[in-house]
Amino acid sequence: MTELLQAVIFGVLTGGVYALMATGLTLTFGVMKIVNLAQGAFLILSAYLCWTLWAHLGIDPLLGSLIVTVPLAVLGIGVYRFIVERVQRHDHGLTIVVTFAVALVAEAVIALVWGPDPTATTPAYFNQAFTLGPVTVPRAQLYACLLAVAVTAVLQLGLKRTWLGHAITAAAQNPEGARLIGVEPKKIGTWIFAIATATTAFGGAALSFLYQFTPDSQDTWIGLTLSVVILGGLGSITGAFAAGVLLGLAESVTSTYISVRWAEAVPTILILLVLLIRPQGLFTLAARQDAAA
Amino acid sequence: MPSATFESPELVDLFTTYTASPDSIGAHLARATAREAEHDPLLVVTGTDLALYPGGGAAPVIEPYRLASRGFKELAGISHLGPALATLAKLRELAARDGGDDSGDDGWRADSARLLAATKAARAANSAPLWRDQIAVRAFAGREEPIAVRLDRLDDGFDPNQTAADYTRLISQDHVNLLLGTFSSLLNAPASAIAARQGMLYVEPSGGAATLFTRGFTDLFFAQPGTTTSLPDQFVAWIASLPASERPATAAYVTQDDPSASPAVAVFRTRLQALGVKTVYYQVYDPSTTNFDSIAAAIAHTQPQMIIQGAVADDGAQFVRSLQKLNYNPKILFQTNAPTDETYPSAIGGAAGADGVFTAQSWSATASYPGNQSFVQAYTKMFGAPPTEDAANSYTAGQVLQAAIKAVGSLNQAALATWLHGHTVATIVGPLKWDKAGDPEGSLLLSQWQHGTLQIVAPASAATTKTILLTKPAWENG
Repeated sequence: MTELLQAVIFGVLTGGVYALMATGLTLTFGVMKIVNLAQGAFLILSAYLCWTLWAHLGIDPLLGSLIVTVPLAVLGIGVYRFIVERVQRHDHGLTIVVTFAVALVAEAVIALVWGPDPTATTPAYFNQAFTLGPVTVPRAQLYACLLAVAVTAVLQLGLKRTWLGHAITAAAQNPEGARLIGVEPKKIGTWIFAIATATTAFGGAALSFLYQFTPDSQDTWIGLTLSVVILGGLGSITGAFAAGVLLGLAESVTSTYISVRWAEAVPTILILLVLLIRPQGLFTLAARQDAAA
Repeated sequence: MPSATFESPELVDLFTTYTASPDSIGAHLARATAREAEHDPLLVVTGTDLALYPGGGAAPVIEPYRLASRGFKELAGISHLGPALATLAKLRELAARDGGDDSGDDGWRADSARLLAATKAARAANSAPLWRDQIAVRAFAGREEPIAVRLDRLDDGFDPNQTAADYTRLISQDHVNLLLGTFSSLLNAPASAIAARQGMLYVEPSGGAATLFTRGFTDLFFAQPGTTTSLPDQFVAWIASLPASERPATAAYVTQDDPSASPAVAVFRTRLQALGVKTVYYQVYDPSTTNFDSIAAAIAHTQPQMIIQGAVADDGAQFVRSLQKLNYNPKILFQTNAPTDETYPSAIGGAAGADGVFTAQSWSATASYPGNQSFVQAYTKMFGAPPTEDAANSYTAGQVLQAAIKAVGSLNQAALATWLHGHTVATIVGPLKWDKAGDPEGSLLLSQWQHGTLQIVAPASAATTKTILLTKPAWENG
């Protein structure tokens, strides 16, 4: 029983981290239908920026993530306005190619600036844990999961309670209708890219103290975050959170009771199942295709 | 018809008055101009020399910039070898056509012998120190090694397919005389197979999976003291030397699915079980694994006194971080490879966290084997940082090749392999001797992190300390 409880705790905490890393991709994929493959590189860039603030200025990665949101938002705006939006005008399908190119360039730049060696932050809590009876709750994972909950809540509130949130939702549900009432797609796209890229700062901060990372670590994380987005349903922030937790739980329980190697296959198996049974994602209502057209 | 030699005196006089006589107006102007500039310097540049005329009729200063340039003759000697061969061929052709000179062959045979002797002498003298310290051309600084020895370096991208393509190119297109292996058993497996097919000697600096030496290749040599089979030797011997009351009773084994790591861990398990150490957990994980929390939790659940990890790179530090998060501290922790990485202590929160961790090393900067200290000093001077184990392994592979070539006196691949099979080579990792398969007949060093330093604890002949931490200190965390 203790083993199961420990596996569940690990699963939930790890899943929260997955959700945190997938938040930005959920927005661009869900609302703009753009598979931003550069999101993994932005995540690693955020981790390096948080590491730099921690290593040189002693700023805790969690606090540093707030600072890092600013340059990341600017980067997101730049990538959208100067690259993605221009390509999108000609061929929407090419956006996946161009974001892949951005990811490659970003990886090379990161390697040039920070070098190829594995890096990680080690704030005081990175290897500490709370003990609750027979189970252990790692502090680093707990903080990352709480951060995921906070980011999800803030984004969800923003979508529900602000004009920008309403505009984003409108653009996602009915782009033509949104345009008719004055929602300018280019402006909305800029905002979405800014927010989506800025939120990678939080995922990057968590990554920096939970795992070691190198410039090419994006390969690992982009696959995982895409899995979360597909599972959760396009554009659903809460869906992404739930999907992340589900994924984390499935991995943890599989590792504990079956095999670590099978755990690696869990995201793929879950995606196949979801696409077969509920292609719109686990936590999204089926969209009216006529309205969205 | 007018005479062909008739000249009009009047018109010729006009010609000589201005144009063509020592006393012509033009000559007057030339002398006047020269007088005005007779004290000015003049620089004359030819294809081989610079001549500076200082003026006033003084003798020029001549600076030959071609033949007198540092390194010109040495490089030209090598670059002219091609034309030299073509010249010999032409001499032979002419001799065949007209019977040649008194010698009957226009001397091409004697010239060929002279060229061969000069080439051999030049090759014997050629070395990086010669170019660096004696010829010392500033423009070549830092590139003396590739000048002395044509060294092809190809990037394999840690991809077995790319590795196979690289070695095929080196052998088939570049026609290299000698091969050095790459790193990792995963890459050396295809590369050594290609070398074996082409009958090329293959000395590999790293990648000691025992399976590499069971394929019947006779030209393959491993430039480290031991492979995965012998990796556990010193550690198991140390465990066996402990009184029964101090020996760990239980062990967990976790390893990356890697041709070097997983077989080594399997050997650990077999031999420790034979000593009575009960296996409570065994797990093989994929090379792409980054999250070790579940593995650490499962291990913590089984409460082993000892953990053996077949780590390849940063998976070692990642695993330790997961153990730390759970605050699970085994009495003994052994990891392959990872603890020798310079980033290992910082990745797990500082050198204190590494205290007590065991690993196996093929080389130590402090070892007293002949040439080791010179290597460390020269490397540090050249690169501004002490050598890594990988650098030392590469150097060792070079030492093995050098010893064989010096002894054999040729680049005959079969002769080099035969010589290596029959001799012991002194290297910076100790004397190396191989069996028929190129498997070294030695074992690796057992090291342990102690107070921020990776100390060699066994064998006694190479140990840098007599102290062995029997129980790993607790992680420095909450």
